[in-house]
Amino acid sequence: MAKVKQTQMTITEEFAAKVKLEYKREKLMKWAPVLVLVGMIVIFAIQLGAAFISPLNIVSILNQWSIPLIVALGLTFVIMIGSIDLSIDGSVGMTGSIAAVLVLNSQNSNNLGVWGLVIAILCGVFVGFIIGLIHVKLKIPSFMVSFAFMNICAGIGLLSYGGRPPTIQDEWLVALPRASFIGIPVLVWIAIFIMFICLYIQECTPFGRHIYAVGTDETIPRSVGINVDRVKVMVFTLAGFCFGVAGVVGAIRLGQGQIAIGTNLMFPAQAAVVIGGTSLSGGKGGVVNTIVGTLIMTVLFNGLTMMNVSGNVKNGIQGVIILVAVALTVKRGAAIISK
Amino acid sequence: MRIKKFVAAALAVTMGLLVLVGCTETMADVEQEAQETQETQEDADEVVVADVDYDWANFTIDPSLIPQEKLDTTVYLAVSVRGLENPYYITIVDGVEMFTAFLDSIGQQYELQLLDSGGSNDVEINNMRQFLARAGENAIIYADANESATVPALASAVEGAGALLATVWNRPEDVGPDAFNDNWVIHTTADNQTAGRETAIALFESMGGEGQVFVVEGMLGNTAAIDRLVGFEEALEQFPGIEVAAQGTANWDTSEALRLVETWLTATPDVGGIWCANDSMATGALQALTARGLEGTVGVTGIDANEDIVEAVKNGLVVATYSSNAYAQGSFSFAVLYAVWAGLIEIDELPSEFRDFFTVGILVLEGNAEEYMGTAPDFDFTRIFDFKAD
Repeated sequence: MAKVKQTQMTITEEFAAKVKLEYKREKLMKWAPVLVLVGMIVIFAIQLGAAFISPLNIVSILNQWSIPLIVALGLTFVIMIGSIDLSIDGSVGMTGSIAAVLVLNSQNSNNLGVWGLVIAILCGVFVGFIIGLIHVKLKIPSFMVSFAFMNICAGIGLLSYGGRPPTIQDEWLVALPRASFIGIPVLVWIAIFIMFICLYIQECTPFGRHIYAVGTDETIPRSVGINVDRVKVMVFTLAGFCFGVAGVVGAIRLGQGQIAIGTNLMFPAQAAVVIGGTSLSGGKGGVVNTIVGTLIMTVLFNGLTMMNVSGNVKNGIQGVIILVAVALTVKRGAAIISK
Repeated sequence: MRIKKFVAAALAVTMGLLVLVGCTETMADVEQEAQETQETQEDADEVVVADVDYDWANFTIDPSLIPQEKLDTTVYLAVSVRGLENPYYITIVDGVEMFTAFLDSIGQQYELQLLDSGGSNDVEINNMRQFLARAGENAIIYADANESATVPALASAVEGAGALLATVWNRPEDVGPDAFNDNWVIHTTADNQTAGRETAIALFESMGGEGQVFVVEGMLGNTAAIDRLVGFEEALEQFPGIEVAAQGTANWDTSEALRLVETWLTATPDVGGIWCANDSMATGALQALTARGLEGTVGVTGIDANEDIVEAVKNGLVVATYSSNAYAQGSFSFAVLYAVWAGLIEIDELPSEFRDFFTVGILVLEGNAEEYMGTAPDFDFTRIFDFKAD
């Protein structure tokens, strides 16, 4: 009897030790992206000196960070449930185009002001909702549905301005890219606001916890009565909202509506989410990871541009850094696959 | 199970054999084509020498010489472009519609179709094949090929159908229409080098010949981007007081140019001018300046004459842009093709300098911006070589 008890103790102890070890390793992995970011900043600061950490450059980094951040935040939740959203280029371009066409602009007589922006964002929300609905109800893989919508949205965006990009003429929208609050541009504040909304959703709402649950293993939340389909549709809708906001911010920043606002946002966003440590298989990661991931991408681009690195070399270096960052976080992924 | 495996293996072997057979045939085709091309080339060379005196620059379409039979035949016009998201292509199409109005005026039956490749070479060639299958030898096509490499494929497809082709901008260095076949009638391109040089000179002059500039290049490896940059460098040699502070590509894209210039401005806030290889990127550069309150004080130039940039030139925010005259590029190419299709020109007689040439461009400055915007061009499509630069 005593012998059996001892064995049990050992097993428990062993288990506890293993958990502790994994926890420790996981904690290290968690900090890897942050280490990459800090390392990059230090290297650039040494290489470029004061220019890199000057307030002017910090503002421009924040400016360049805002749109990728908003896009990647929306994408984070999608990736957390183990799905993917490829509609980004189209839906961001579309909402940006629609926004510019609806406010006072150079191509038509519309002048809806703020409502134009709201309608544009709602278009993004609607597209996200439809993608989620089709994915869930027709059981089509999310990458197929969203890829189709990338093309559909690009088409709608193009049609909205008939090929001639509308220049925004609404006075306060024209002034917005220059406006700032305590030294930080208003457009960046919008991104920060969205960031806090997403953080709140993730940390403080049942929906946020359901996202993790669905991503880890959808049979578990289903067995306790959570409407998994509803969670998924809501995630895609939330992503659509983020893409809508990104499109509108993009149009305001460019002062012009064109489908190219969304061009080449998708893969950097995916990369940023993964670099941050969110696992493509779902259930791990989150908003904070994405914040770090997008910062890595933005700081990297900014630093290399300031160093006047040629385009080809820049692409190469970006690739290498992505690889390094992902390699540093890959153990976590392996643990999931072996589970 | 074993039977299944055997069947699978048999199928695999059959498929492999089929592929091999397919390859052999294709190889034979290619060789034959190459031979034919060579023969055509020899023919063309002989004819050019014979007709060197004719005043081709003033060649005029006389509608009364077009047989009624031709007028009653539907001619199928196709405009093959990369994608309609670029305002440049919309202008091309507008120009082509001016030409179809001309066809209406002389009583020619026609049908116009847009072929959008969406930037894909395969789609471009497939679109072309489908169109040719329908329109046959009555097809006349204006193609802005995706890449130089697709041009020979397009030209061969057109030859197979007995149709006529005009290409623009891209073609392989060593392959031109007169040497290739009689169905690839002309290749034209706006003079990118001149465009790059003239906008750069305008920029440097606006800076008083001194100061630092940013160079926003087009897509790396793209012919137009390279030629425009060569033009810029030519101008740079003439102005020793000008120094390049930063140089990089923004891939023709507005957002990328905005990011690039925004970053450069933090390192070089006292820059004097920004040269951009196209107007979409100039829009981004201008927006980066606006965010810093520097618009109008730092000179910007672009190329392409997009509507918003011409407007900005008029308002003094942009120094200059260069119009490749998109209205004329598509429409006059069709005018030449139409003249050949209608039998007014024997393709063999057309000398090589009228089959491969630069088209006229317009440097848009503050002085002529308003004029450029206000006047919709009024072309005389009977004078088909009016768009050729001297």
